[in-house]
Amino acid sequence: MRLDGNALAGVLVEALGTEMTEAPRRCQSCGAVNPVGAHLLYQGAGWVLRCPACGDVALRVVSLSEQHVLTFAGEWRVETPR
Amino acid sequence: MVVRLAGATRWYAARVVDRVAETPTATSLCFEVPGWPGHLAGQHADVRLTAEDGYQAERSYSIASAPEDPAIALTVERIDDGEVSPYLAGEVRDGDQFELRGPIGGHFTWRAQQGGPLLLVGGGSGLVPLMAMLRHRAAAGSDARTVLLVSSRTEEDILYRAELERLASDGDGLAVHHTLTRGTPQGWQGFDRRVDAEMLAQVGPPVADAPRIFVCGPTPFVEAVADVLVGMGHPPASIHAERFGPTGG
Repeated sequence: MRLDGNALAGVLVEALGTEMTEAPRRCQSCGAVNPVGAHLLYQGAGWVLRCPACGDVALRVVSLSEQHVLTFAGEWRVETPR
Repeated sequence: MVVRLAGATRWYAARVVDRVAETPTATSLCFEVPGWPGHLAGQHADVRLTAEDGYQAERSYSIASAPEDPAIALTVERIDDGEVSPYLAGEVRDGDQFELRGPIGGHFTWRAQQGGPLLLVGGGSGLVPLMAMLRHRAAAGSDARTVLLVSSRTEEDILYRAELERLASDGDGLAVHHTLTRGTPQGWQGFDRRVDAEMLAQVGPPVADAPRIFVCGPTPFVEAVADVLVGMGHPPASIHAERFGPTGG
């Protein structure tokens, strides 16, 4: 099943404490810059977020009973209120 | 591009204050949520149900109400073999308590001060976050030129139909178009096929007007419409897409 990064917003809020879908991410493979919400999302045992331009992996999320495990790729720019 | 992000989101106690049967399979639940921080049109919320034995289930739904509305409305489409939606769309009673987390999402949002023109394309219950935008547009007194194209299976599956007719008759720049993909009733004035380039060209706005575009629906619908829009010359960055699919119902 393919969704988009918007569907990961709740998990990212829970894991990172901030809204992430507007954050721009630059792909490590093709250089395309797209908001996290515009990335493609695949669900299997966990979630895999992929670059909408080239399909390379942007983020893997595994939600275990006690923790979320997130593995990032590429350049993410996040600005949060202080 | 740099975006300032909102702070953390937590769970809020939510009490059902009203239920509206929208179609034979969709129900809107209106919640009173003390302390709710407010939302933007297009955002969604997670609903958490806790059974007596402690079992919990979470589902994500788009918010249908405008930020200006006093209650938070979620429209739930019943998935017959789903775990949660048959309960939410059928068994819930006024006064029932849930937990709501949100607002969630920032990419698929529109604020009236961002203006138009707007092109909103919804497939099935993909209309829900677009409805929040239209309700916000009306509540904010916006006259941003807006075209809404709604694709539904049959006439009885059209969400918010009477309200859409009322909003479109205000003469403030909103045009509403419907297409039905699984048969049309006698005398049907709208389209009768899947969304295509000819239909989008007919309803507008044209590429030259650089509309801000929001497309929401099941993944195949969203990707087909987005491909057509890009093929027509709309810049990919102007197209905001939100896909949804079965995640357990």
